[in-house]
Formats: sequence, structure tokens, C-alpha cells
Amino acid sequence: VRLRDLRPADGPVEFVARVVTCERREITRKSDGSRRPLVSGLLSDGTGTVRFTWWDPPREGVERGLVIRVVGPEVSEYRSRTEVSFTWRTRVGPASVAELPAVDPADVPEKVVRDLHLPDEGFRVSVRVVRIVERAVSVGEERRVVYDGLVADGTGSIALSAWTDFGLRAGETVEIVGGYLRAFRGITQLVLDERATVRRIQRPDLPDVAAVLSAPPLSMARVEEAGGGAAVSVEGLVVGLLPPSGLVYRCPQCRRGVQGGTCRVHGRVEGVADLRARIVLDDGTGAVTVNAGRVETERLWGVTLDAVRARLRASPDPSVLEGELLDALLGRRLRVRGPASMDDFGVTIQPDSVESVDVDLDATAERLAARLGGGRA
Amino acid sequence: VSFREPAWRVVTRELESSLEEEKGPGERAASHVLSPFGSRMNRVLLAGILSPAESIGRDESQPFWRARLADPTGAVAVTAGTYQPRAMAQLRSSDASRSALVVGRVHLYRGRDRVSYLSVRAESLRSLGEGEERAALADAVRHTLDRLDLIARLEGDPGISDEALVSEGIPRGWVSAARESIRRYPEADRAQFRHELRAAVRRVSGIALPEEAPELPATVRRRRDAPLPVRPPPSAAERAEESLLLEFLDQVAESSLDAYADRRELLARVGSRGLGSDRAEEVLSRLEEEGVVDEPIVGKLRRA
Repeated sequence: VRLRDLRPADGPVEFVARVVTCERREITRKSDGSRRPLVSGLLSDGTGTVRFTWWDPPREGVERGLVIRVVGPEVSEYRSRTEVSFTWRTRVGPASVAELPAVDPADVPEKVVRDLHLPDEGFRVSVRVVRIVERAVSVGEERRVVYDGLVADGTGSIALSAWTDFGLRAGETVEIVGGYLRAFRGITQLVLDERATVRRIQRPDLPDVAAVLSAPPLSMARVEEAGGGAAVSVEGLVVGLLPPSGLVYRCPQCRRGVQGGTCRVHGRVEGVADLRARIVLDDGTGAVTVNAGRVETERLWGVTLDAVRARLRASPDPSVLEGELLDALLGRRLRVRGPASMDDFGVTIQPDSVESVDVDLDATAERLAARLGGGRA
Repeated sequence: VSFREPAWRVVTRELESSLEEEKGPGERAASHVLSPFGSRMNRVLLAGILSPAESIGRDESQPFWRARLADPTGAVAVTAGTYQPRAMAQLRSSDASRSALVVGRVHLYRGRDRVSYLSVRAESLRSLGEGEERAALADAVRHTLDRLDLIARLEGDPGISDEALVSEGIPRGWVSAARESIRRYPEADRAQFRHELRAAVRRVSGIALPEEAPELPATVRRRRDAPLPVRPPPSAAERAEESLLLEFLDQVAESSLDAYADRRELLARVGSRGLGSDRAEEVLSRLEEEGVVDEPIVGKLRRA
């Protein structure tokens, strides 16, 4: 069967799919304390993706990209998503790419960006490439290049992560078939692997790059409702700072915060001074945390890292500095753009840009007066 | 999941009209003040003219300061104590009236005379330029109009679904607050309030000078409108529960070192006499509301 047709309790099934992501773990049995290895991850066949759990996997390991034929898996449903697990009853063997089901673009439904929600898959979208950057990552031992970016249509934008070079360039319009969605650091991403296809199309009606990047701000309530987004724009007043803000020390190797001269990963290190501000921005409908880095913090504060360090030598009380930073920021009206992720504490934005906003008071007063005059008052 | 409480943009007149409180379940839940005009506020952001602060602390080791923030629609008391050191320093920092921005928590205190006193405990406070003050006031008026429009819509079409409104971009919290405002303040005069916003818009356009607002003493004033909901007089059974609870409160308080009755112990004792803890909590909150009992420290009760 094709993965998009896979349902629990269908009786014995067989499918061919590719391992998209995988992770090896060991589970300790409660009964006798013995350890049992498993590999879990994501499978895709171009028509859909499912999470899999492979009990007692082959000793030589399971690698990303491996194409497998699976006969007789256990098919279940978790949070209305289909999952499979391979037990001693399941036969799993290697298969060739040619055996993967053919994906006919006309066969998958067309979707708009706003309607892409986890765990959607097996869809086709027509989008403008807003930006695309090459990034080197290491997956286990392996060095790979991914192409990270942002794509958009008239209904919204979504982060893109391509594991194959499709030669994407900012500004062009493309039709993407066979991508799938995953959550990465709290942000939904459209992922393209070898199975995905990209076709250049002529769609001048799609919003251009500038229009996407200068979209008017959304209310924070709306951003919370949407669970964040890849390219969010909000505007509000600074109502506070969260620790750590001001002067911080970072590990020279991984840039994590250093506490008590110790990095969580690299142990005792000589911390490198840096400036940051974790700004609480509020628009009356909600609040977001904006993680401003050194450049934005220096610009908003009007004080450079060097000046801060010089001042600290003169009066060594970092809390005074944090107070000054708060005084400089409190009540400032800022417009912030960037990817927004959501967790249990709310929405956090890693800003691509932070700008001060001036309000046209005369125009605003006129609009308000018109609303009052035209109302029931 | 509970996110940070947004700072509602309101004019002071809306705060003056707010008499209803909602306490969430559990000990640490946020409490909210519900206004007749569609706000369910825990935190607010206000802009206006802040008067010099006066000390109202009775204990020198626990300083407590109060000032009055006025905008063209009214005024509200702004306080800060030792737990808000930065806000307190800012509150005390000027001997003259000035434009200021206040972010803080709304407190509604209902005295024994059944008069409500609303104040804002400042979390952060800053002097503002006139332009910034007018811009913040403009936000408050815009949001207030949006909420009044929402209430009008809900009154006209009570059956409209929350989802339909949320999909238009209206904050979900606004929809439920508006419905609750309509329910709890059936008598509210929203047209009059809407009319009073005109003064605020004049200030936004720079016409009305802040000095024109009459100076009032830096104390909170009596609420003017929206009478308290009339509660039916307690039944004989409820009276009996109240007196049982008060009897044990006195007993527990007497035997404790600090002269307060521990809430948990009290509930356990009355529980052994057949008053279940849910019921007892209900009776307690009624007694607190009537000003018979108060809880100056969380978990510690005494006769008011």
C-alpha cells in the first residue's frame, strides 16, 4: 500500500518506503531489567509519511535514506496519526528506489500555505521562494548541506528545509510536490528530500519577496493562536526584560551561556562577553519574548559592548547595567520580524529585524474620531 | 498552558467602572478583574499624568507608595511596595506631575462597606514624552472601541460562534471576556462610556492639555455606576454553616502561635463536622467577600 492509504486494522499490509529520519535508543524492560534496542523515526514513500518503531533492528544499523520493504507491520494510531512498529512478526528487507510507489503530481491535492498543518503530507503547493541559504550540518558522522529558506503564497509563509539541491533561488515561483512537514525548534517546516519534486512555474500573482517581507504585523493573540510561524511580524511596547539580559558570557566553542565559568557541554571555559536582551513585547492582546542579539541590543540601547565592559570595570555591579538597559527599552514601540516558536511559556521570536516605530498621531486621532463619530455614541 | 498575561490597553474610566472579579481555581491561579466594557484584566498598561507619590506604608521596614494616574477619562491609584523596588523608585522619583507609562497588576479590594477600591500595583513605570503618552492612549482607545464593537456584535447576534470571531482575527480572550461582560453587567451604559472616550481622542490629537484635568486628591474614589449584583439573603442552613466555620476559625486562631487560623487546618476541622472542603471554600469566600474574614497572608485567615 501507499503510506497515505495506510490505516490501522487493515489486515496484513506491505509497503516500500524510505527512512527519512532515524534514531537508535534502548529501552529497559521493567520485568527483568534487560535492555532492548530500537530504532525510531520517520518513513516516507512520497505519498505520505509515518512514524516507525523498529524493535530489535539489524545490528549493522539503520541509516537515513535506506529504502526498505516491510511486510506485516503493526499499524496503530497515535494522536490521529498513523504509526507503524516492526516486531518479531514483521519482515523487513532492503528494497530499491524503483520499487517506491510512483507519485503523480496530479494525484496529490493542491494546498495553500495557511492550510499546511502538522501532520499533513502528500500535498502540492505553489509558492514564491522568499529566501534560501546553504547551510552545512553534521548528521551523526556525516557532513551534509541543507538549503534553508522561506517560501510563501498569498495566504502565508512557511520555513523550508531542502536536503537535496533543487537549485532554488530567491524570487522564483515553484510548484513543490512530495514534501512533508515537521516541527523543528517549535516551528513548522516544509521538508524536501530526494523524493520531492520541484517545478518552475509562472505565477506572477504570488506575492513578491518584498511584499512578503513587509507584511503588516499580526496581533500577538493571532500569533499565539497559530502557534508561531516561520516569518512573523508583530508590533508592541516593551513591558519588561527576562533574565539573562544585558552582559552575558558565552562558551567560545558553542556560544551557550556560561554559568560559574562552566559551559553545560564543554566544562570549564573562559567565557566570551556578549550583549543580549530578552525583551517582553506586549500589544495588549498577548505578549511575546524577543531574543535580541548583540547587534540589536547595542542599537536599541545606544551602548556598545565595549562601553558596557568599560563601565563594569569602573563600577562592578552588573545589576545596575541591567536596570539601565530596562530603562532604555521600557515603553519603546518596536516592530519585530522573524521566526516565532511556541512552548509552554508562550511565543518566542528570534528576530531577523527589530525596528522602532513612530506613530502618526494626527492620522491616528482622526481615525479614532471618525470611529467615535460614526458609532452609536 | 498559561501564557504571560497581556497588558490590557484600557483608559482609566474603564478601570473605575470595573467591579467584578474572577478568581481562578487553585491557590496560585491568576485573578482577573472583569470590566463592563469587555476586558478581563490581570495586567494593564496605562498612560497618563502621574501625580507625585505619597507614602502610605504604616511600617517603615515595608515602604508602600501610592500615586494617582489621570487620563482625560478618569483616574486610578497606582501603588508600589518593596516587592516592586524599581517601580517604587520610579514612582518616588518626581515631585511634580508628569507623563508616565505604567504596567501593573489590577487589584480590586472590596471593603466592609461594600465599596470597591481598584488600584494598579506597578510592575514597571517610566516617564514618557508627550508624543509617547498620546500614542499609548491612542492604543487604549482603539482597543476599547474594538472591544465595544465586539460587545455590540455579540448583543446583536448572541449565537455567533467563538471560532467565527477568532478566525476574523479577534483575540479569543476578548470574545469570552465580552460575553462575560454582557452577562455580568446587564445594566452597563456603554453608549455613555463610548461618549466619554471623546475626551481621550482629543488628547491623542494634542488638543486637550493635561493640566485641564481637575486635580483630585491622590486617593481612590467610590465607584459610580454599575450597582453590585444583589445576592439573595443567606438561608438558615447557610447561616448555620457560616457560624460553624467562624466558630472553628476562632478555635484554630486561638490555638495558633501567630493568631491566624491556618486555612488547611480549618478546612480539616470543619470537614470532620460534615462541612466538605468545596462547600467550606464557598462559605469562606462568601465571608471574605462580605468582609467578615480576610486572608492577609496566603493560607492564613483571621476575622476582619
